[in-house]
Amino acid sequence: MGHNVLLVDDSSTMRKIVGRALRQAGLEFDTIFEAADGLLALEVLEKEAVDIVLSDINMPNMDGISFLREKAERPHIKDIPVFMISTETGDDIIGEAKALGAVGAIKKPFTAEMVSEIIGPFLQ
Amino acid sequence: MDMNDKIIETTIEIFTTMVMVDVSADGPPLQTSGTLSDSITGMIGLAGTHKGVLAIHVPNHVALAITSSFLGMDVDEINDDVRDAVGELANMLGGNVKTILSKNGRDIDLSLPSTISGHKYGFKATAGIDLVILPFKTASGTFMVELQLEK
Repeated sequence: MGHNVLLVDDSSTMRKIVGRALRQAGLEFDTIFEAADGLLALEVLEKEAVDIVLSDINMPNMDGISFLREKAERPHIKDIPVFMISTETGDDIIGEAKALGAVGAIKKPFTAEMVSEIIGPFLQ
Repeated sequence: MDMNDKIIETTIEIFTTMVMVDVSADGPPLQTSGTLSDSITGMIGLAGTHKGVLAIHVPNHVALAITSSFLGMDVDEINDDVRDAVGELANMLGGNVKTILSKNGRDIDLSLPSTISGHKYGFKATAGIDLVILPFKTASGTFMVELQLEK
């Protein structure tokens, strides 16, 4: 049985690229949900059974850090693992994301192999 | 490695790994991006310890080829997909330039990417700017990456 993933990025192009990378990495998902910012991502998490979230940081309306902060306040969704997937991978930003519950980070640009190595173990 | 070499390296990495298009530097840095014809420009602002803008200027026919490869589907008109793809290229380039300029990532903020396009337009630097304009070539044509930083 596969998992459900939520891709959060304001770029529709990037959501497609990440989805393609997941398929190329051989990671099996039943459903790939998409959201264009943190606010919309929270709406999806409230309604759908999501196993893992891949989220950009720099987004309008609610950025990835604020999304993590808000998600951490909601007990029923706070434990869903989130990977940051962003050009912004400075130690301070990723450290803040991890302090708010992010379990890892993938730097853009990335390859399918990198996605597989980082996310694969969480889907075992 | 100086800033020019780092921008060339990161541009090639982004195009090779994400866009699936082979790119190489196309000669020495330019003094101006000149008048841009039938092109689309993706740009992202930098604020904080370094202030400026990172832009990628792409002729329409090259933007169509890049977007087609990026998305894995034929794109034959300048539409929201093309604007989003060129904006995302600016975002990735800006994020990597930010990492070059600021190792911890906290003393520079990035804007959200935006695009402009048109039949004829210019992208002019104001005074007091360090300017880098690097030409690149692909099988479908050339494009430029421009970094303007306040001195």
